[in-house]
Amino acid sequence: MIQAVDIIKHGGSRPTEKFLRDKLHSSLVAACLSAKAPEGQAEAAADAVCDKVIIWLQQRPEVTSHDIRVVAARHLKSFHPEAAYLYEQHKITI
Amino acid sequence: MAKKYEFDYDLIVIGSGAGGSAAATIAAREGKRVAIVESDTFGGDSPNWGDIPTKALLHAAVLYDEARHGARFGLRSSTLGYNYPSIRSWKDLAVKRTGAGGNRSYYEKQGVSAYAGSAHFLSPNEISVNRRHLSANHFLIATGSQWIIPEIPGLQNIKYLTPRTILETIRPPKSLLIIGGGDIGIEIAQLMAIFGTKVYIVEKASRLLPHHDSEVGELIERVLSEQKGVTALTHSRVVSVEKDGLLKRVIISRAGTEKSVKVDEVLVAAGRAPIVDMGLENAGVKFTAKGIDVNEYLQTNVKHIFAAGDVLGRNSHTHTALLESHVVANNVIRRNKITPDYTGTPEVIFTHPGIATVGLSEDDCVKRDLPINKAIAPLNIIARSNTSDFRDGFVKIITDKKGVVLGASIVAPHASEMIHELALAVKHKLTAADIASTPHAFLSWSEAVRVAAGKLS
Repeated sequence: MIQAVDIIKHGGSRPTEKFLRDKLHSSLVAACLSAKAPEGQAEAAADAVCDKVIIWLQQRPEVTSHDIRVVAARHLKSFHPEAAYLYEQHKITI
Repeated sequence: MAKKYEFDYDLIVIGSGAGGSAAATIAAREGKRVAIVESDTFGGDSPNWGDIPTKALLHAAVLYDEARHGARFGLRSSTLGYNYPSIRSWKDLAVKRTGAGGNRSYYEKQGVSAYAGSAHFLSPNEISVNRRHLSANHFLIATGSQWIIPEIPGLQNIKYLTPRTILETIRPPKSLLIIGGGDIGIEIAQLMAIFGTKVYIVEKASRLLPHHDSEVGELIERVLSEQKGVTALTHSRVVSVEKDGLLKRVIISRAGTEKSVKVDEVLVAAGRAPIVDMGLENAGVKFTAKGIDVNEYLQTNVKHIFAAGDVLGRNSHTHTALLESHVVANNVIRRNKITPDYTGTPEVIFTHPGIATVGLSEDDCVKRDLPINKAIAPLNIIARSNTSDFRDGFVKIITDKKGVVLGASIVAPHASEMIHELALAVKHKLTAADIASTPHAFLSWSEAVRVAAGKLS
């Protein structure tokens, strides 16, 4: 069980949100599917990465959305490097 | 006129160890508004889990060992024993007496606001500590380093020790395998061996203490094996670790063959990595897993953020971190910036005999293609070795062709005291002749320094 974590949005322009595992999970699955990963692999990788991010968050009650992106991409790299690249760069590539 | 932003503090120091605490107290004394943030125990590694407790235990251990071998001086020591819980109490007392160790109010008394919690950068001028936002004009990152846990199959499934956790064990284990034959590994090997533990050291390099001159590692390996029964497994690497009943079975690969060792405990002392996971990306600070990049003034690429101590990823010591902390304090407070001068910084290992080095090692000189002269004075040629009945050690001095001292290594009792005259020589470019012509007191261990210098002058 994870304690409530506040996510400060990029630039502080939008209000702070609570961390939502499902939101992170869907974004990771989307990145994996964009990199042509099979759905099962995408789900499994997203699950594993979410678990690692949650462990990382345990000592951090407040982080930025950029932190989540960097940490998630770092872990996703070991499961699917292409998806990790897309995940990290999606704002630039879109 | 440009708008001047108001911040909560003039300086926020992240980490209360040697790299942070000096700068925090100096800046506070100068009237700056200072905060210090600590995620672990206040005072940092050195007083709580590093230098102070280890050296307090080593002091007790060496006393015990000397007394145990006192029969040759006519001492009756057959009934000598020790009580480990009392030795631990002594260690705790030594930690408490340092003042900074585990003591948040120490900083508050100095006029520094102390925050317990992990600091996380939200922007270049703002951090979050337990959801509290703190802003500052300047930051000093002094988060230090932590022990690296190597990726060895099975290691995560056993309860392994680190140089920090072994200090809290109820009693010395019957047998201990240490992964890593560096400075700390050697100190703990000797400490535990004196208290009766059968110690194995596994080191990838061809000798213990591979970062020192070969004579140092070879002598210490011989002293530990012959006098303390330590088994040094050099050229070896741990392949895997598994539980075997109450014991741990460690598979070691050595010269292409695998062998296994059964021990009560495994201790990991295979190097340290800087702690850089604090949202540095949000502040735009350049860093790698090996440390934070700084310029000669200890500024990161973000000019108002400084870094000092182990987090720089250099081979650092408490005294080096303190030096850097003083430099940062100056560079934050004053306009004229200064740079740290590392010349003549000694490195010390508190074994018995002690090990101390300064300046360039012989390997360093070879790598730099420097033409050198060197001389070694074994301890057994000086009178003190006779009166103390101690012969294992030497003083080695390296000079350039003009006789200017470039570096030195000492293995001797009180090496940590002896090294400073050679540190002075390295720092001020004195020659071996300068040292040799300085009177050295008869029956001091330092006579060996004069003898070694005399061979070069």
